Amino acid sequence: MGRKKPQKIALPPALPPEVPDEDVEVSDEDLEFVNENVDFAGFLSTLDTHTIDKHVNRVADAKKVGEDALEAAYEKRLQKNKKKKDTEEEDKRVEVERVDALPVKSLDGKLYYRNLSEKKAEGGELVDGAGDDQKDMGLVRLTKAEKRAKLKKSKKEAKRLDNEAGGEKGDEAPQAAVLAEIQKDLSAEEIFESKKQKLAELGLALQADPEANIKSLKEMIQLCKDPNPTIVKLSLLSLLAVYKSIIPGYRIRLPTEKELEMKVSKEVKKMRFYESTLLSTYKGYLQRLVTLEQDPKFQHVAVRCICALLDAAPHFNFWQSLLSAVVSSISSTDDIIRKVSCDTIKSLFMNEGKHGGEATIEAVRMIADRVKALNCQMHPDSIEVFMSLTFDEDLVKPDKVDEDKKKPKYNKNNKRKNAEEPAQVLQNDKKRSRKEMATKMREEVAADFKAAAFTPDFAEKKKMQSDTLSAVFETYFRVLKQTMHSTTTSSEVNGNSISAHDPHPLLSPCLNGLGKYSHLIDLDYIGDLMNYLKRLAGATNGLIISERLRCCIIAFRVMRSNLDALNVDLQGFFVQLYNLLLEYRPGRDHGEVLAEAFKIMLCDDRHHDMQKAAAFVKRLATFSLCFGSAESMAALVTVRHLLLKNVKCRNLLENDAGGGSVSGIVARYQPDATDPNLSGALASVLWELNLLSRHYHPTISSIASGIANMSAAPGQAILRINSPQQAYRDLSLEKEAFDLQQDVVKSSNKRKKSLPNGASARTSLETDIAMSDSVDEEEELSRKFCEHFRVLEEMKENERARDELARTKVALQVYEEYKQLRKKKSKKQVKTVVAAQ
Amino acid sequence: MRPLDEAETTVVFEKLLKFTGNNLKNIVESPAHEGPDPNPGRYCFRLQKNRVHYVSEALVKRATNISRKNLVSMGTCVGRFTHGGKFHLTVQCLGLLAANAKHKVWLKPTSEMSFLYGNHVLKGGLGRITDGIQPGDGVVVFSMSDVPLGFGNAAKSTQDCRKLDPNGIVVHHQSDIGEYLRMEDDL
Repeated sequence: MGRKKPQKIALPPALPPEVPDEDVEVSDEDLEFVNENVDFAGFLSTLDTHTIDKHVNRVADAKKVGEDALEAAYEKRLQKNKKKKDTEEEDKRVEVERVDALPVKSLDGKLYYRNLSEKKAEGGELVDGAGDDQKDMGLVRLTKAEKRAKLKKSKKEAKRLDNEAGGEKGDEAPQAAVLAEIQKDLSAEEIFESKKQKLAELGLALQADPEANIKSLKEMIQLCKDPNPTIVKLSLLSLLAVYKSIIPGYRIRLPTEKELEMKVSKEVKKMRFYESTLLSTYKGYLQRLVTLEQDPKFQHVAVRCICALLDAAPHFNFWQSLLSAVVSSISSTDDIIRKVSCDTIKSLFMNEGKHGGEATIEAVRMIADRVKALNCQMHPDSIEVFMSLTFDEDLVKPDKVDEDKKKPKYNKNNKRKNAEEPAQVLQNDKKRSRKEMATKMREEVAADFKAAAFTPDFAEKKKMQSDTLSAVFETYFRVLKQTMHSTTTSSEVNGNSISAHDPHPLLSPCLNGLGKYSHLIDLDYIGDLMNYLKRLAGATNGLIISERLRCCIIAFRVMRSNLDALNVDLQGFFVQLYNLLLEYRPGRDHGEVLAEAFKIMLCDDRHHDMQKAAAFVKRLATFSLCFGSAESMAALVTVRHLLLKNVKCRNLLENDAGGGSVSGIVARYQPDATDPNLSGALASVLWELNLLSRHYHPTISSIASGIANMSAAPGQAILRINSPQQAYRDLSLEKEAFDLQQDVVKSSNKRKKSLPNGASARTSLETDIAMSDSVDEEEELSRKFCEHFRVLEEMKENERARDELARTKVALQVYEEYKQLRKKKSKKQVKTVVAAQ
Repeated sequence: MRPLDEAETTVVFEKLLKFTGNNLKNIVESPAHEGPDPNPGRYCFRLQKNRVHYVSEALVKRATNISRKNLVSMGTCVGRFTHGGKFHLTVQCLGLLAANAKHKVWLKPTSEMSFLYGNHVLKGGLGRITDGIQPGDGVVVFSMSDVPLGFGNAAKSTQDCRKLDPNGIVVHHQSDIGEYLRMEDDL
């Protein structure tokens, strides 16, 4: 892409005429004047000579910068200890006023004020925190400092410059010797600290003014090769931070031979130099990272750096090598590395704006190739990243159509004009040529715009998307094929399965992805896909129940997304589900998958064959007798749903075995038929509901009795639980304990009601005692006991009294009778006496 | 009446196979509970006046008591042989086919009448279709409430049906229950 053109500001004033510096004589008056009126001399300092020198001597400065900075660091540290310092440097060192150069806080917490030497290159060390990479601003700052320096010196600084320029070359050799001596003397720890500090300084400097300090990058890369591993790690990470901030938003294109030969302005030269340095250092850094990735000590750091770089700058040069490194670590066995790489790739897919889609397709293709190479023995996360792909489904053609229309029209018009008016006047020619020019200009503008535009246009986008899709689906189909092969030859594979847990680990994310992107697949391939899925669903060896169920679920989902084409009845999958119900085992298989299968295949608004629906109803009812509450509930909800929808199946609730005329062709129910259509379920009866209404779980018993009464009361109250998945979740084991207690209380109440009244007092006492067990108050207990005994006493008293009463009554009666008898006797005696007289 | 010979049996079974596939054994081997015998017999095919009938053995035994010119039909008539020796299935075998059909097609209510008049099934009238149909397969046509309406030949596979325009023929009509009214004399 194009380079950033340096913004032009007002050029500094023209250079003064070239006067050899020796001839310049500065009088004392002038000195005083200058000292008094500082500002007046300001303009003097905006000379360009220094920048020119800087440019010219840049190469020579390179080492100088590094070494000076190093020395500055050492110096500050060893101020106390070593006096055998480079006094020569100290002369050059000029105290800069604190206003101009902000202090730096080292790792020790001390403030160091920057010292400025005469060399202009040092100006780059000014940390003003503005972070501008505009050369001219740097210039201004440079000159300010220089102005101060000049004013301090005030005399013949140019001469001094020349002297120093000559002198410094000679100084380098002794400086190096001095440095070597210093290094030997410092202890290892101090070296460590010094290196850390150096890293920090360089990093900050680069971030502030990258163009000026591009050499420091090389320094930092040197540090990467340090023997100390911590330093290596730190330097890698700090380089990462630096690169993240200074990488430009465009891809750098190195100038060609021709361009190099051309004469260009200083700014362009500077820019080129900066870019080429950046690129070369970046390359070196990347190579270092890639080599370090193999080293187990640095693996994590290296991978993290690579991923962060790819995330931050996917458009920059060398992104392909970064991408290949990340993709190869996607399926590593180390969890952290894998997670980091997968996250990077996912963010790459989601932020397509950064790289305009090229990285997406490259990544997808690389992953597909990797799957092919490893024959699908990878960690499922590697395919999971495909789920974050986004496809733009409405790629609209904007003005392209119009353009095409316009052009031929115009040409036709032109030809017609030419044919009709061959000998036209000049006017027409002029008009035509003007029109031609106008269109040419428009075309040129459009071409330029296209070249400059970063987002790919419609045709490219479409092509990229179709390539991505084809790679994704190629991967999925390969996984499906491999799974099928492994199931067909599973008898041999069983002994020596390659991965620890799963012979086909990629199957489940593959199925997920198919479910998500199925509406984008071409209609031709749907038939093949259905075939594969059918075969996989029927693979009794090699695939566990949950996987086969998932195949069925995905098949239905694919079909549903293609419903507008044709409403296809997936017979084969229903047969599979029917048989899978028999093979389900609650501990081993996942009930949620089963509940989802119920929902998608049976409960969703599908028109079902009567025989088939009845067959499922009957088998589900039998199924719910055999398993725990959760599965039973899911099955019963499905049964209820099916019975509500298919009115004809309700004769299953009637008590006539044999079905009568509604039973269809098959006269008797075959419980072990493999095909639901031939099971003859319409001729059976749902006696299981009767058993289920006595289930220990209250919800299940209520729903069972609700279903049984369905034919009697058509307007049923709608149960809270609407889908088999929800039912399964609600009734899974976590919630069961709570429900049981409720049930106990309910049953005790029932018992209480059913006893006769006479003994009710006693039984109520029993329940009271039962309840009082939970109440931990002894006073209450004793009070209740007292009451109880009092009542008992009273009852006993009453009985005794009643008995006595009865006895006295009897006695009275006897007496009465005796009295009457005596009366009769006396009467008889009187009578006989009278008769005897 | 006589049982079918080799060639005829092959032809009849082939025709039935197109519709039923694996379920053919259900037709041939299903137990027949008709008749007073406690043990269920089997069903078999018998030829009477170039019509093929599907009868239980118990019934066959009793039908031998009726003379040939008086015997009109027994059991279910599934088809007839033409002069040229070809075998055609008639509408009366619909019940048998519908119970054991592999490939089914459901019609929308609006296009039921059209099919019952003898027209072919168009894609626009298709409610549902079984997966995995190949061209040339036998297909049984149902209404949306699962009443068998007739049968025919598939013109396109299920895959191709997706891409068809709404006036394309999906199933070639062979026989439907409207024939009971239209061709009363022939049956």
